[in-house]
Order: sequence, then structure tokens, then C-alpha cells
Amino acid sequence: MSAQPLTVRSATPPECRSCNTSVPVDEHFCPNCSRIQSLGRHGDYFAFLGLPRALTIDAQDLDRRFRDLSRKFHPDFYYNATPAERLASLERSSYLNDAYRALKQPVSRIEHLLTIEGLPMGKSEEGAAKVPPGLLEEVFALNEELDEIRDLREAGADAAVLAARLATARKPIEAKRDEHERALLEASEQWDRQAGAPADARRATLETLRQLLLERNYITNLLGTIEREAAAHG
Amino acid sequence: MGKVVGIDLGTTNSLVSYVTDRGPVVIRDANGDALVPSIVSVDAAGTVFVGREAQRRLLTDSSRTVYSVKRFMGRGIDDVKDGAHLLPFRVGGEPGGVVRIGVGDREFTPPEISAFVLRELKRRAEDHFREQGEFDFEVDRAVITVPAYFNDAQRTATRDAGRLAGLEVLRIINEPTAASLAYGLDRKNRGTIAVYDLGGGTFDISILKVEDGVFQVLSTNGDTHLGGDDIDRLLTELVLAELGTGGHGLPAETVQAIRKAAIQAKIDLSSADEAVLAVDRSPALPDGFTRRITRDEFETIIRPLVERTLAPVRQALEDAGLEPGEVDEVVLVGGSTRVPLVRGLVEGLFGRTPHSDLNPDEVVAVGAAVQADILISGRREMLLLDVTPLSLGIETLGGVTSKIILRNSTIPASGREMFTTGVDGQTAVDVHVLQGERELAADCRSLARFRLRGIPPMPAGLPRIEVRFQIDANGILSVSAKELRTDIEQAIDVKPSYGLTDAEVERMLIDSFEHAEADFEARLLIDARNEAESIVLATEKSLRRPDFAQLAGREVSPSEVAAIERAVAALRTAIAGTDREVIHGATHALNDATRHLAEVMMNNSVREALAGKSVDDV
Repeated sequence: MSAQPLTVRSATPPECRSCNTSVPVDEHFCPNCSRIQSLGRHGDYFAFLGLPRALTIDAQDLDRRFRDLSRKFHPDFYYNATPAERLASLERSSYLNDAYRALKQPVSRIEHLLTIEGLPMGKSEEGAAKVPPGLLEEVFALNEELDEIRDLREAGADAAVLAARLATARKPIEAKRDEHERALLEASEQWDRQAGAPADARRATLETLRQLLLERNYITNLLGTIEREAAAHG
Repeated sequence: MGKVVGIDLGTTNSLVSYVTDRGPVVIRDANGDALVPSIVSVDAAGTVFVGREAQRRLLTDSSRTVYSVKRFMGRGIDDVKDGAHLLPFRVGGEPGGVVRIGVGDREFTPPEISAFVLRELKRRAEDHFREQGEFDFEVDRAVITVPAYFNDAQRTATRDAGRLAGLEVLRIINEPTAASLAYGLDRKNRGTIAVYDLGGGTFDISILKVEDGVFQVLSTNGDTHLGGDDIDRLLTELVLAELGTGGHGLPAETVQAIRKAAIQAKIDLSSADEAVLAVDRSPALPDGFTRRITRDEFETIIRPLVERTLAPVRQALEDAGLEPGEVDEVVLVGGSTRVPLVRGLVEGLFGRTPHSDLNPDEVVAVGAAVQADILISGRREMLLLDVTPLSLGIETLGGVTSKIILRNSTIPASGREMFTTGVDGQTAVDVHVLQGERELAADCRSLARFRLRGIPPMPAGLPRIEVRFQIDANGILSVSAKELRTDIEQAIDVKPSYGLTDAEVERMLIDSFEHAEADFEARLLIDARNEAESIVLATEKSLRRPDFAQLAGREVSPSEVAAIERAVAALRTAIAGTDREVIHGATHALNDATRHLAEVMMNNSVREALAGKSVDDV
């Protein structure tokens, strides 16, 4: 897992190390002397890329921003610069690469939004530990079926029969996953429409997104269990 | 500031290139040969030979000649035992440490051997710039290429080799990406490119997206122990099996003669349907060896090897989220892609004809020169965004790997991990850094062990030590740490698992300067001998000229002729010795002794010429 970005923002705007002008935290270059700025404690990938905190992103626009900023930050272009600028270039390019990677995929994009809105997902084990209430029925049925399939496998049952039963067991879980993908998309769009809405409405949407994401992680783990059982059949 | 070059430091051959106003140029020798065999030979007197000369010595002084050293870079003895019995030189070292290569009574690490090759390339480039009439011909900086799938230790070993050769390594770049830069020079288009690079010892596949001058690597994969060397070994083993020995009991020179025949047959089979494996007679092989081999038979032998490249290709495509059919262009790099079976399998997988319009041996060096030019000029038209080939992690409780930077992350990349203490008042924490995809630490590559020191004494679990891992644009890792409660930067002792410490590199640098002096002396001696020999030959030729007899006695006294003959004999004795000053002295003496003779002969020639003219005039 890549590191969690820090949410701490400096209370006072940082100063440019070259000319001591105060520089807003989201500026990459000093407005006064145009030198590259050290990264400081930045935590918002959207702001870093000049984007609003929206979950619907134009992939081509994101790619273009990534390329343009890479051309500005990359260490290739700071070979003759001062050590401070070279370090700033290294930090800023690393951070840009993290930001681009996180925002490119819808799921990691939602995770990042939750982090900067103060609802971080935490480590993956948290989501895997207890069964989300909405999935109880499916999980119960699946575990029962998997147990039976394992017993049959150990008794030397025909591989084709086992494969067919696994495929059947898999269907309701895949249906749940598709359902969650749709729900995530809907909640994401709702978040984007709420840009000027009251704080508690926005908070409710974030809670929905978080719950859906936890369940989605749980479903992904279930599908992984089925994969492993299928692999055991050789 | 001196000159900057791009270097392809290959398993089999190495090349050096640079960028002029008119574009990239690969530096060649007087015969137009750009390839410097990556072979180093050290004779009993300690003189070092590199390249073609070392390649010749492989057949006459095998045990003192080292090839394919790239396979040992950044590796331990346990990694390289496979196939080592066919190598003529000694491969040793302690388990869990750097490989040591024994040549006579001397021992070298792989970076030291590579440094000899780099120094030869540096000299070749400097000779070239001098011939071009450049005032500042010294080469002091370089971009050096490595296989994309090289891990941190292998990259660091390559950078150490550059330092040992007296080069500032501006950047380590990946071979397939370098090749794509070279291809990108004259193509303004955009799209997805797959670079399949099968070299002498390593295999890489990289998938790139190219858009307005940005070459963004999406994924990379490979095998750092798979290449043309393995094809040569299979053919060599075929011959050895048919000779009824496993290679044991045959002198190393004979094994090398068989290997040479195997390489020739492999090359022949790229264009012919049948070739002959022919090994000359030698005392150990009184009847020699001759055997026909068809391309079908050859392909049956090497097919499993070539098919091993397909799984990494499929994995790279999957990591890039692409189907084979979605790749717009396939580029072949590396000498081994000349093998028709390789081309066929690649074409079959991607369903399109691969590109090979640029010379597959030279395209990587050209890309390295282009990258060097980007770095020193600061021009921003082209930008290479590469990835780290392997995930970076640390060992956690129970020997499990916890990943911090995932494979195929664009570099530079960084990651953080929090550590704390397990015992009250604990002031140090050990960290084990790993590279690889496996779950268990024992299955991953050990990169280094760190000790975080100077943690303020606190109850167990209270310190919050943030360790920051930074992979730079070379794909090389550095680590820093900070205790967050006290904001104290922590000291870190690095012990690379399969690399050299800075102190070791420093010591080798000093050693190499001492040896460089010896090597320089050896070169001066060779130059002095050459000069002396040419003047002896010229003098003897004059003494044998038909008109000399009539000159002698008329204008050249017998005592003068006797003095010249004595000077020639003295110089011959000096050449046989090793004292450069004595050779110089004797050369000067012969020059003095022949000065009058030379004048006489010159005048005589002029007279004859004039005489001829007057006859014509009449």
C-alpha cells in the first residue's frame, strides 16, 4: 500500500527559499522568482493537480495535466539547478506520480476524497474483519457452498462438476459487486452535484461512499476466495 | 566541463554514443566497428586487455579472461552457481555477499570488471573527440543503460562501475525505454509501443504510451538471467554431450573454441536453413569436431528458452491493462532478436509485424545519448517517465513482506511507513528492506538492512518513527527517517545485501588509480615498442635497397654502415626488454646514426628524378 497522504496543512503560508516571498500552499512555483517550491505538508491530490474535489474526472484531461506538470517538475530538467531546487523537483515529481495514480482509478479516487474529508478507510483488515449487514445472507450461503465443494473435491469429485458449482456460487456475489459499482457511481455523481450543499448533506454522501467502499472491499475478498478454490482444482 | 556520452553496457558488447547538432552518432573504431566486446583479460604481468584483444585471448588464455560479467552485477554467489562450470574464470565469494571473480592471483568484483569496459569506452570516445579536433576532449559524464528489470542492487552496482571508471553517472536508464527514445526521434506520432529486448544475458519487455513527446512507461517485466548466452550454452552443451564429456576434463581453451563455434552456428542459422558446428583440431580434441545442424533442430533446442519470454510479456500487458491487439507498434531490440524463432513468436503473440528498422545492437546506445543530451541541455521536447520494475517492501512480524511502493509505479516515487519500539527505552529499530512480489520476505530480494538509531528513550510503542523511502529517477532507493514526536532526524546505517559500501568503492577507486598508472605505463611501453619497430624496419629496408650497394663506399663509409648496424642491434635488444626509457634512448641513437644516410638517399632520389627529367627533355 502506498503511504497515506498527510492531511495536516501549514497554518501559515510557506516561504520561498530563494526570495523569502510567502507562497500559497498550492502554488508549485514562486509567484515572485518562479523557482520550484519544496513540497511542504501537502495532502490534497485534487488541488495539487488544479482540480475541484469532484469524483467525475475526464481521463484525457487528467492525463494532460499529469504530462504538463511532469514537464515542469521532472528531475531531468533540474540537473543544473541548486540542491534545494533539485530536492524540490524530486519531491514534487514523486508526489505528482502518487497523485496521478490515486486519481486515475475511481476507487482510489474515492478513497483519497474520504481521506482528505476526514473519513479515512484505514488499513484493509478493518473492512475484511466483520461482515457488512447488507451482505450477511450472501456470505452465509457462499461459505456453506464452498464447504460442500471442498468436501466433494477431497472425495475426488469430477473437476467439471466442481467448476460448474463454483460458477453458480459466484453469480450472486458478482451480481452484488455490479450492484455496488452502480451504487458507488450514483453516490459519486450525487457528491459532485452537492458542491454548494449544506455540510451535513455532503457528510451523509461521504458516509454512504465509505460504507459502499467497505462492502466492495469485502466482496473483492470473497471473489478472491472463490478464485483460490478454483485454482485448487488445478 | 568535459564531454557527455551515452553508454550501452551490454552483456556481450558495449557501445558509446553522443549527440551532435545533426543528431546522435555512434562512435566507431577505424574499421567502422561500434561494438566493444564486454570482455576483460588480465595477463600474468597484470596488463589489462579489453574488447577485441580480450576476445582473442579467450581462446589462448581463457582462465585469465572474463566475459558476461553483467550477469553477476549486484548478485550473490548463490544466484549464479547455475552454469558457472562452463566459465573459464573463477567465480567465488562468500554466501550472502558480493560475487568475486578470480583472475590469476587477483580478485575483482563485477563492478571493477565492468569499470574496465567503461574505461575502454571512455578512451574510445576521447580518441574520437581528439580526432575531431576538439580542444576539450575529456569524457567525464555519462548516461548508462541497464535492463529494465534490474533491481536496486544491480543498478547500484552499475553506478559504482561508472564511478570506478572515472565517470559521473548522470542517469541510469532502462534499455527498452532508451530504445523507444531512439525510435521516437523521427516519429512524431502517438500511441502504445511494446519494446521486446532480448540481449546477450537479459530479457526485458516494456509497454509505453507516447503522447506529445512524453514517453510514459505503463509497465515493465523481464528476466535478468535469460538471453543469447543461454542459447550459446545449449549449443555448447550439445557438442560436449556428443563428445561424450560433460565439459569436465577439457581445457578451458577447448570449451571456449566450442562456444565460439556454437555462436557462429547460431548467427549462420539466422539467415541459412543449415549450418555447421565446426571446432578446429587441438591437442585436447585431436580430430576436431564437425556437425551439421538444421534450423529446425536448432529451434527445437531453443524453443523452451524463447518461450520463457512470453509469460513476462503477458504479465506486462495485463499490468498495463491492455490486450495484445491494442498495442500499436512492437519494437525489437537486442542482438538475440535476430533469431527467426524469436521474431516469429513475438509476431504471433501481438498479431503484427515487429519493427526492427534501427540496428538492434545500436539503438540502446543512441537512446542513452539522447537522454544525456536532454539532461545537459534542459530541453523539454522529450521526457521519459519510467517505472520501478519490482515492488519495494519491508519485512514485518512473521517474515511477511509489507509493500510500500508497488511495482510499475512511475519514478521518482516515494512511500512512508511508521515504526515504533517494542521494549521500554529502546533506542534503535532494525529494518529489513526487500524488493519483489512474493508474500514472504524470504522469497523476495534482500536489498539492505537498516538500523534506526538515536530514538529518544520512551515507553514501548510510543515513538513514532516515520521512515521515508525514495526511489529516484535512476530507480535507486534512498531512505530517511524521522521521529515525529521529537521531530528528530534519525541516523541510518546502510548495509547493502549484495552491493559495495561507499568505503569499498572509495578503496577500489584508489586501487584503480594505482593500477591505472600501471596500465598507462603498459600502454606507453607498447607505443614505444611500436615506434622502435617501425624505425628498425625502415632502416633495414634502406640497407637492402638495390642502389645502396653503389652508395655505400662512394658516399657512405663502411664504418658508418657498421655503426648503423650496431644501433639496429642495440635497439632490437632494447625492444625485447621492458624499460621504456632504454627503448627511447636506443631509438634516438638509431635516428642519429641514420641521419646522414637518409640525407644521402634523399639527395640520390632527387638526383635520379632530375636526371630522368633531363633525359625526357632531350
